[in-house]
Amino acid sequence: MDQINDFLAIDDVCKSLMKEISCDFIGLALQDKNGLNIKWHYAIGNLNEKYRLITVRFGKGIAGKVISSGTPLMIDDFPNNVLGKPIEQPIMLAENLVSSYAVPLFFKGVPKGVLLIGNRETHSYTEDFQTSVKESAGNLEKILSDHIVS
Amino acid sequence: MELLKEDQHISSYIIRSQEEEIKRIALELHEGVGQNLYSLYTGLQFIETGTDNPQMKSYIQEMERLMERTLQEIRFLTVELHPPALSLGLFPAVKSYAKLYTSTFGVIVELENNGVEKLLPEQGSIAMFRVCQEVLVNTAKHAEATKVKISFFWGEAAITIKIRDFGKGFNCTDTCPGNASGLAAIIERMYQAGGKCTISSKIGEGTIVDISLPFSKD
Repeated sequence: MDQINDFLAIDDVCKSLMKEISCDFIGLALQDKNGLNIKWHYAIGNLNEKYRLITVRFGKGIAGKVISSGTPLMIDDFPNNVLGKPIEQPIMLAENLVSSYAVPLFFKGVPKGVLLIGNRETHSYTEDFQTSVKESAGNLEKILSDHIVS
Repeated sequence: MELLKEDQHISSYIIRSQEEEIKRIALELHEGVGQNLYSLYTGLQFIETGTDNPQMKSYIQEMERLMERTLQEIRFLTVELHPPALSLGLFPAVKSYAKLYTSTFGVIVELENNGVEKLLPEQGSIAMFRVCQEVLVNTAKHAEATKVKISFFWGEAAITIKIRDFGKGFNCTDTCPGNASGLAAIIERMYQAGGKCTISSKIGEGTIVDISLPFSKD
């Protein structure tokens, strides 16, 4: 997927999620239609535009790991207690995030995207919080399903 | 004084050995493992054309995709370990790394080349490249910068590289190179290579790292 056409619908979902939960940043990453690279296509609460330039490989970074495993990933105190080097999590560095919760977006049963929620201080993500994020991820899957061909 | 020289000699030897080993591993990955995997990949494609069983075809295609991913990983790992562009010169190698750096960290790198590039001895070239890499990684980690400018100055007697980030900067008295291991390592690496490194920073104005290496006289 190279362009998000339903920008307004995505914006609605992410803005209402941001109102509902307590977070500083929301980002949406999608795997390229052709190839394995993953790019950040949308963000709110961002400090800068770095996310637009970041590309991660399948299996690398938060987005790459979530897409390759198809399971959520939580970081509660970056850069402490993180597997690997801090530079392997570029979105955390770019946005000064200390904690994050990322869930996969599935298209035709295959993980092709990531919805990431981030905070600029340590944060523990409750069950309710995680459920809200997963529900929003489900809504994004519906919005984006027409544009992503697996 | 003699002990100090001996220490410097040992440190240079260790760094040189490490770089040689890194280069050997990169070459082995590229020429050995990578080539073998590519042969297996083409073999899988050949097997795929020879089977009509849809289940088997789909399984082989899945293996091909995994092989493609592995080959790509090997290529990236090889470049990360020892940039092949270094054989073309220091500026092309830094230029190639800057491109990768922007797509990794989202920080824009502006490059400027002043003067005519001269061929550096391999060890000097690697040291300059590694220091540039280290400075850029430090910038991504700590500077909160969106842009970095790298200027090369090819003089008569030395090459000087100025790396300036437009980030938050730091107080040199609090984070002087002796207290920050990353900065101290950068200075030490240049010293071992026979060059110099100076770091200056101001809060709110960013950081400037100047590294220079004299051309060998022979």
